[in-house]
Amino acid sequence: MWFKSRSGAPVLGDFEQLVLFGVLRLGEDAYGAAIRQEIHARSGRDVSINAVYTTLDRLEDKGLLRSWIGEPTAQRGGRRRKGYTLTPSGTAALRQAYHALRSMADGLEGRLNPR
Amino acid sequence: MTPQPPRLAVRLLAWRLPDAWREFVLGDLEEEFLLRAGRSEPDARRWFWRQTLRSIARPPATRTASVPHPSGDPFMRTVLSDVRHALRVFVRTPSYAVAVAAVLALGIGANTAIFSIVNAVLLRPLPFEQPDRMARLFHIPPQTTFPGMATFSLSPANFLDWQRDSRSFEAMAAYSFRQLTLTSGSAEALRVAVVGPDFFRVVRTQAALGRTFLPEEYDPARAKVLVVSDGFWRSHMGAAPDAAGRTLTFDGETYTVVGVMPKQFSVTAWGATMVPMWAPLAWTDKERAVRENHNYQAIARLKDGVDLGRAKSELDVISKRLEQAYPSENAGWGGTAIPLQELIVGDVRGSLVMLLAAVALVLLIACANVGNLILARAMNRRKEIAIRAALGAGRRRVFQHLLIESLVLACAGGAAGVLLAKVAINAGTAMLSNQIPRADEASIDARVLLFVLGASLLTGVLAGIVPALRAGRTDLNDTLKEGGRSDSAGAGSVTRRALIVAEVALSLMLLMGAGVMLRSLHALRTVDAGFNPSNILKLDVNTPDARYPDPARKSAFYASLLDRLRALPGVQGAGWVDTLPVTGGGSVQPLVIEGSAERKPSEQPTVAVRVASEQYLQTMQIPILRGRDFERSDGDAMLVSASAAKLLWGSTDPIGRRATLPLISRTNAVPVLGIVGDVKEALAEKAPPTVYLHPRELPFGDVSIALRTSADPSTVSKAAVTAVHDLDPQIAVQGVHTMSDVIEEQLIAERFRTLLLEVFAAAALVLASVGIYSVLSYLVRGRRREIGIRTALGARTADVVRLVVVEGLKPALLGIAIGIAGALAAASLLETLVFGVKAWDPLTLSVVAGGLLIVSIAASLLPAWRAARLDPLTVLREN
Repeated sequence: MWFKSRSGAPVLGDFEQLVLFGVLRLGEDAYGAAIRQEIHARSGRDVSINAVYTTLDRLEDKGLLRSWIGEPTAQRGGRRRKGYTLTPSGTAALRQAYHALRSMADGLEGRLNPR
Repeated sequence: MTPQPPRLAVRLLAWRLPDAWREFVLGDLEEEFLLRAGRSEPDARRWFWRQTLRSIARPPATRTASVPHPSGDPFMRTVLSDVRHALRVFVRTPSYAVAVAAVLALGIGANTAIFSIVNAVLLRPLPFEQPDRMARLFHIPPQTTFPGMATFSLSPANFLDWQRDSRSFEAMAAYSFRQLTLTSGSAEALRVAVVGPDFFRVVRTQAALGRTFLPEEYDPARAKVLVVSDGFWRSHMGAAPDAAGRTLTFDGETYTVVGVMPKQFSVTAWGATMVPMWAPLAWTDKERAVRENHNYQAIARLKDGVDLGRAKSELDVISKRLEQAYPSENAGWGGTAIPLQELIVGDVRGSLVMLLAAVALVLLIACANVGNLILARAMNRRKEIAIRAALGAGRRRVFQHLLIESLVLACAGGAAGVLLAKVAINAGTAMLSNQIPRADEASIDARVLLFVLGASLLTGVLAGIVPALRAGRTDLNDTLKEGGRSDSAGAGSVTRRALIVAEVALSLMLLMGAGVMLRSLHALRTVDAGFNPSNILKLDVNTPDARYPDPARKSAFYASLLDRLRALPGVQGAGWVDTLPVTGGGSVQPLVIEGSAERKPSEQPTVAVRVASEQYLQTMQIPILRGRDFERSDGDAMLVSASAAKLLWGSTDPIGRRATLPLISRTNAVPVLGIVGDVKEALAEKAPPTVYLHPRELPFGDVSIALRTSADPSTVSKAAVTAVHDLDPQIAVQGVHTMSDVIEEQLIAERFRTLLLEVFAAAALVLASVGIYSVLSYLVRGRRREIGIRTALGARTADVVRLVVVEGLKPALLGIAIGIAGALAAASLLETLVFGVKAWDPLTLSVVAGGLLIVSIAASLLPAWRAARLDPLTVLREN
């Protein structure tokens, strides 16, 4: 149950945006743990791995992400890794969210950063 | 080695994560864990756990939104769904769930703690093979000489005859105790059980290391061998695997350790197994022939297929035969066998059953309170319940739903209760181990856990059934029509009042029990025992035969010791006695007064005989009523207590007359120097007729020394011990205590019982007053409108307060009446446990009832005051 914006790209939740930015930033290395660490490092939000997967799962469901499964490695206790990449509509939704935020914030930087 | 993430956490995650992600999430976590572990492994583990808990706490929604197809038994499915629903409701309203679970945890925890003691003491079998086949053997003494005494020790000759003639027993062993002073290293006195040839056959226990005694070691010439306990082996022999074969020096003599008993053999509740070591009982031919001096215990094992009754009647027949064969020694002496288990726990059974009953009452009160809370909640949820009913939930389904809620809470309470009980057991058993046999073995085992489960389920049903039944009866139509109001006057109010009645009645019974026990304890503490225990220090000293072989040497040692002690600063007097009062034990002997012929033992009057030094009576402040105290120069002399004088001489003046103690010497007629006050041997019992004997020479080595001090007695204890060691550094000094402590020690069981009952009663009182308060608050809420109208029509504050308080008092008074009846009915449980006060003591009963009445009024005042403060305008406008 989600809303369509005027442009047709789905509206993203706040955390969904962080996750999608993480995927975009990490490129080929985008998988659960890396995304979690990226979000923690950049936004300061220390979220649970579970929350990341829940969101990744939902975004994949919406068609904003595509996933692939890698080879098992020893560091992972012989488990495989699931990587993610943005679909075109994922990129569009993220672009839309970013523009929306930027235009809303336009001219307010001074007031958001009190001297 | 590579660090591994916590296995339990991985398991939890694997169980909780949806299949679709499990592998990837676990892989991610392990990878990051390794990375973090490179910096700090503890941090990494903490991080892993945090991640795990956060993931479990909020289980992710699975991708499939459709309800899985129901499978399995439909009843179980609804139960599971009710359990899940209950858990969700409690997570949403944690304060309610925590309050209820906490009340139940206290109730169940207290019950569990008491039950675990009952389990250890009464239910768990002794750690021997077929312990129910083991019985101790006793003489039954002639009642004319030993009135009220049910059992008596055995004499060697009689024991040997029993052993030879009886066919009911597989094996039989005599035993007794002696004290050995370990002289390799610093002097330490140790109690040794000296056990007869078949002892280890009767207990059916082998040595864990080495062996028990060989048949030839029961020969006096070869008996310097010992079997030691597991505890002694660890504390004194460093748990050496080659301990068997080592030697130890006692009183200057060498003993060989031949074996070590297993740990579980050290049952502290039975004298024969609580000792640090065992030695062979090696009777000389002379000792084997002793028939009239009864100094030995005996343990036996019944043959398979022989019941106790048959064994007893056999002992009876043998005793009759011995009476005829040896009339001068054995006339009137019977024999009996008592199961070991019975002897060990017989005395405490009543007290434990009483405590279990009391703590069960607390749980019942807690149930009533919780029932009240659940009812209030159910009434607040009437709309929800009505909607469920409207959607097709049958009455049974609603009933089940609410009952399961209360069961879930009770189980949570039970789980928390086990933890509380564990804490309580750890704290309590150390205090109890001396006083309640086997209490030190209390622990939470399978049986206790089963008890907790049972108690939790019962509690859940008890607390939940009334609300569940009430809510199931809710009228759908009325409730939905009532509109937004979630409660109304009268809904469940009869049930609520009934709960108050129950709580008050149960509390009264508990308070009564606690009150009576408290009065009894006070009576015991203030009882006049015949001596003044304050400012007395006691110490036990032993001069071993090996180093003080003749009586003159012993007497001389103690004479110079008393001189040294009396010279200590702060010491006002000193004396010794073989057995101090109130410490238990002591010799009882027949006494023959000069001029009358010695009668048959069965008709001979007996008295407690205390061997004492000069100034002993003065030190203890036992009054000398007539005549004079001993002097050191007196030689053999005697003082008699007032009751002994009356028993033995009647109206004749005993002073200046003589008497013999045939067990000590038939020829030595000892003069009586005076009459002294009676002294109690046990606080709760009558003072026995007593004779104090001042011996020319001391026939034995161990005495207790009493010192009267001008200040706190414990301040001279060090100087007193030093005084002993100045005379002889190899003498062990034991049992250095103040006499007041000795008396308090005797009262531990009473104090423990009283303390527990007080705690239970206090808990009951708090629970009951909270119950009254919450019920009245609820009722007032339902009658806001009525009270508002009354106020609008001119009712004053006092009128409204009176209205509400009376409302609360009615059930409270009924509860008090029922409680009094219950307390009177339960008085028999307490009868044998109290001293100096009746179990239905009217004073205590009226104080308790009055107190409960005041508490009920106090608990009603707050809701009453709130009702009186209602603003009629606001209340009326609400509707």
